[in-house]
Amino acid sequence: MSEAGLVWSLLVGLLAVNLLVSVYGIIYGRSLTKKLISLTIFSDTVYVFFIMVGYRLVYPTVPPVYVELTRDQLEYLAKHAVDPVPQALVLTGIVIGMAVNALIGFGIIQAYRLKKTVTARELVGFEEVE
Amino acid sequence: MGRRLLGLVFVYSLALALALVVYATGSLQPPHEIKRLGVFYVEETFFGNMTAMSPEAVTAIVWDYRGLDTVYETAVFFLAVVAGLAVFRVSKTPPLKRGVGLTEISRTSTKIVAALIVVVSASIALHGHLTPGGGFQGGSTLAIAPLLVIPIFSYYALLARRLTPGLLVTLRGLALTAIGLVALLPVFKGLEVVTNIRFYPAYILGQLVSGSLLLYNSSEYIAVASGFAAVFLYLSFEEEFHEEERGEDHE
Repeated sequence: MSEAGLVWSLLVGLLAVNLLVSVYGIIYGRSLTKKLISLTIFSDTVYVFFIMVGYRLVYPTVPPVYVELTRDQLEYLAKHAVDPVPQALVLTGIVIGMAVNALIGFGIIQAYRLKKTVTARELVGFEEVE
Repeated sequence: MGRRLLGLVFVYSLALALALVVYATGSLQPPHEIKRLGVFYVEETFFGNMTAMSPEAVTAIVWDYRGLDTVYETAVFFLAVVAGLAVFRVSKTPPLKRGVGLTEISRTSTKIVAALIVVVSASIALHGHLTPGGGFQGGSTLAIAPLLVIPIFSYYALLARRLTPGLLVTLRGLALTAIGLVALLPVFKGLEVVTNIRFYPAYILGQLVSGSLLLYNSSEYIAVASGFAAVFLYLSFEEEFHEEERGEDHE
């Protein structure tokens, strides 16, 4: 039981709720654009979870980058650096996520050009286009 | 409005309640140690037997230890941009007109800022193997320059300087071919695909280039920047132009 534990729990709680809200947005959002925004919030929340997994509570916490190329630095980094693996995964995730989001964005723009609406139910014909 | 506020209050209360439950159980504490794999990468990235000769462990993972993954990732990004442009199906560029752009103040400041963006982005990309950053980050930064120029000077400013979507897509293709070549070249010497230090030199003229990492970063820099710039250009064409293009498609 510590202050760090409380902050950590608060972060986890907020991120979990963030996930719930974004899933709600993806399912119940009327407009495709809002669904896309929810999707980006969802993926960004997952990235923050990833970064949290790689964090370590030591003082000072440093990025996994050698400031000077010495053996002392190696020992220092082994004790103080955060995990580089989640960072690399998140970097890959951001690029793939952006590719997917851009493609969905193109699709939404094209849908608007052809049907003059971005509301999901109107696009599939469940509702009349106003 | 009242319903939205109520929703917001409910969501925050839920987060707080969840946090208190997690805290009370005491099951979740920030870790003091990182995983063994993370320590391995930190130790090996420069001094170990499986070194990537890069002081930056994340770049070493992205372009060396998990290099194949990143080559595929670049391919996915390329395909997404190509698919997007294919959906738009723009075959030519709009005819050139002469625009005035925004005020003198905004035009002058944009010129200065755009030049700074180019310098900073090149620094991010070319130092990717030494400091946090890399090709993708640098390329995304560079793409901001045309994004600034388009609203301030209008996209004719780019088209008049021959910076057409066709040229940008060609540049992107060339940069991706370079990435593919850098990944494939070691195969001809009997090494694996995406081999780094065993094929490429770590130092050139006394400067640490970390083997293929600098080559990957600079190619990715051009690929990402030109890809984004092409997308921004297509998105900035007037709706009437797109309608005309579609009309011709149907006939």
